[in-house]
Amino acid sequence: MKHTDSISSIQMAIIIASSIIGVSLMVLPRFVASKVGEAAILASVVGLLISFLSVLAITLLGRKYRNYTIIGCNRLILGKFVGNLMNYMIILLTIFLMGLEVRQFSEVLASGLLPNTPIEISIALMIILCALVGFHNVSTFAYIHTFYLPFLLIPMVFFILAFEDMESYHLLPIFGHDLSFFEFISGAFEMSSTITNFFVISLLIPYIKDNESMVKNGIRGFFLGGLAILYTIIVALGVFGVKELEQIHWPVLSLSRVIEIPGEVLSRVDAIILITWIFAVFTTLLSYFFVIVRGTAEIFRTNRFAFISTIMIPIIFVVALIPNNVYEIFEYVITIAKIVTALFILLPFGLIVIGRFRKKVGVQ
Amino acid sequence: MTGILDDNVRLLKEIFHKDMDYSLRTFELFQHRHAAIVYLNSLVDQEVINHDVIKPLQHYEAPEKEPLDILKFLIDNILYFNDVKKVKDFSTIISSIVQGKAVVFIDGIAEALELDVVTKEKRSIEEPETERVVRGARDGFIEHLSTNIALLRYRLPIPEFRVEESEVGARTKTKVVVCYIEDIANPTLVEEMKKRIDAIEIDGVLDSGYAEQFLEDNPLSPFPLLINTERPTKVVGNLLEGRVAVMFEGSPSALIAPATFNQFYHTTEDYNEHWVISSFVRVFRILALLFSLTFSSLYVTVISFHPELIPAKYVVAASSGRHSIPFPVIFEVLLLELAMEVLREASIRMPQQVGGALSIVGVLVVGQAAVQAGFVSPITVVIIGMSTIGSFAIPLYNAANTFRMLRFLLIILAGTLGLLGLALGLMVVVNHMLSLRSFGVPYMDPYAPFNMKAMKDSIIRFPFYKLKKRPSNIHPQDQTRLGEMEKHYTNYNFLDKEEREKI
Repeated sequence: MKHTDSISSIQMAIIIASSIIGVSLMVLPRFVASKVGEAAILASVVGLLISFLSVLAITLLGRKYRNYTIIGCNRLILGKFVGNLMNYMIILLTIFLMGLEVRQFSEVLASGLLPNTPIEISIALMIILCALVGFHNVSTFAYIHTFYLPFLLIPMVFFILAFEDMESYHLLPIFGHDLSFFEFISGAFEMSSTITNFFVISLLIPYIKDNESMVKNGIRGFFLGGLAILYTIIVALGVFGVKELEQIHWPVLSLSRVIEIPGEVLSRVDAIILITWIFAVFTTLLSYFFVIVRGTAEIFRTNRFAFISTIMIPIIFVVALIPNNVYEIFEYVITIAKIVTALFILLPFGLIVIGRFRKKVGVQ
Repeated sequence: MTGILDDNVRLLKEIFHKDMDYSLRTFELFQHRHAAIVYLNSLVDQEVINHDVIKPLQHYEAPEKEPLDILKFLIDNILYFNDVKKVKDFSTIISSIVQGKAVVFIDGIAEALELDVVTKEKRSIEEPETERVVRGARDGFIEHLSTNIALLRYRLPIPEFRVEESEVGARTKTKVVVCYIEDIANPTLVEEMKKRIDAIEIDGVLDSGYAEQFLEDNPLSPFPLLINTERPTKVVGNLLEGRVAVMFEGSPSALIAPATFNQFYHTTEDYNEHWVISSFVRVFRILALLFSLTFSSLYVTVISFHPELIPAKYVVAASSGRHSIPFPVIFEVLLLELAMEVLREASIRMPQQVGGALSIVGVLVVGQAAVQAGFVSPITVVIIGMSTIGSFAIPLYNAANTFRMLRFLLIILAGTLGLLGLALGLMVVVNHMLSLRSFGVPYMDPYAPFNMKAMKDSIIRFPFYKLKKRPSNIHPQDQTRLGEMEKHYTNYNFLDKEEREKI
């Protein structure tokens, strides 16, 4: 494919970081804590490491086949039929993930910011916002992530103010109470399955200028985003403790209500945090949407991105409305995310192995 | 054209016979050869024609042997005139006549002489109204292109400074010049600019604004993608950074490309003042920009959707005076914003003598009365006032207009969807700005893509000794701006007499 624009691997790192900081940040502390209790921190670290495998695999694959996206790689290595089957699966899963993500977002919004607005409106607006971004330029996509990244880190600064409410006994013991290994690992998987959309970088590979430092910068970007998530989990766990966390739907929202700015400039910080969090959600959703639009375009070998993104608006909207309530959303999320994690880890590794096996070397 | 004078004259007469400013003056060259000079008297300097053309031609004694090439003989020996050309083609002759040139026909010669005797009315050089500075040069461009070029040449007396001419406008035939410094500007940028200018097909270009809309990468965008300025210093400063300037005959504003958003809160004065002070002022300009864009919409959303955001101490102050207002806050704000826009527009069109009275009546009397009548709340007036003043603090007039216009979008979104609407509106604006390119340069550079080196001249202007490189985002050929400087000062004060003399 001939293209004129390109991005640097540092921009790719930024995309990874700002993609994984998203809706899940709001609920992750509860997810993990309810599964593994006080071992949440350790489980999160292990979970991050599991996801990290996927980042590593994708970047390694990208370094090997530098002119192909994952869609192209699938076709090249697995053959047309199996490859396209995989491609359809990726797009379908991403549509589901995005739908659920945007649904979670609007549920948080309804409970935190706009109690009287129907969730359908915020769902539709968020999808339309993503569709308004032109997908012709990959560099624009990278610029958007770059620009919003500092805003995503603002809540992290505010959380410092919550340090005084943290209790060390909430965090201990670090290995949890009577935790079986299986429970621990499933908690870790939960963690890694909610941060899957760094997968978007696999569609950016042909546009990355400095291919050599891709793996290195991919690790850095993941490290930055992972650290932010870990930090949030630690603060939330430290402030609320496991028992309380299990009761709260949106722990981070509650956390932001705990915070008080000295000097009483604003009476509630949670609105500010919610706004920056809207930015975070937007960048995350945009990454999903990017995979959906550019992926579909590549499967059908067209350049009509505007057309595809218009078609995708109602589809994602409908998917977002499938779950009946908050609990169902979480069930769906967990089920689908598990498949996605497995796919996103196994697929790139599988491609590398099969590629070596079939002795097909990417065009350098 | 033919060699017979009468035929040529008749042809011209057919074209111009209805025009009152068409002049034909016949005379005899070398006392025996018929000749005629043709010009449009409204455009030419008649004094020059009398003294420097007709007089020497009539006076000159016929040489004993008539020279073979009479026209060359005239140019070489008789005419005291520096801009003379031989022309053959009749259509060229006509187009040069309408451009204000005089053409001399001589009987028996199938060629004519074209003399550039055009004078154009021009006003004097004044300080541009829209870009005032406290410290800095006071001259501004005028409509007359060659004066404008002179203003640039005066500041750039180097052979590398290029002024390439071309023409645009099928009917106005407007002269365009592309100015750049040959060893700094990127040749691709210069070529691209020339290509875009050549591609313009329009009947007339009356101001650089006409062409601007063709030169932009994205004409649908409300954001200005080229900078316009009437200040020669600003043009020279940008040329030195590696940008390209375009100027049009008849327009006092030059266009500079590529433009980034960064430049819309910069002024030439920032570089004249101390760097701390300029950086400080730039911060305020950014604040003003944000004020003008978001202040009124933030007010709408906080009052109508999220009163819990207001700290308890200020609730009374914020809501006092609101209880008697008949409208929801969004209407109140929109109404006042509209009134402010009308007032602004009116004060531009008003004669200056009346303008002062208008603003006093409009702002003070009407505003005060509206508050007292319980029509709008006092705090709304304060908010609208702040956001309007904010928009005046943006140095570039067209950028300020864009932000003022987008404000209405944000107010409506904030009034219907609260903070979410405001955030969404801001994101739409920001995403659009991030998708813009000016001649291929990302509009939001150096923020996204993040560019540490270019950050040195963004919100904070670093001192000059730190600005060693030209902005890398426009890829100048010559990267370095500063040479090696030795900071070696002698402390004169502590030297005794002998040592001083030694130095």
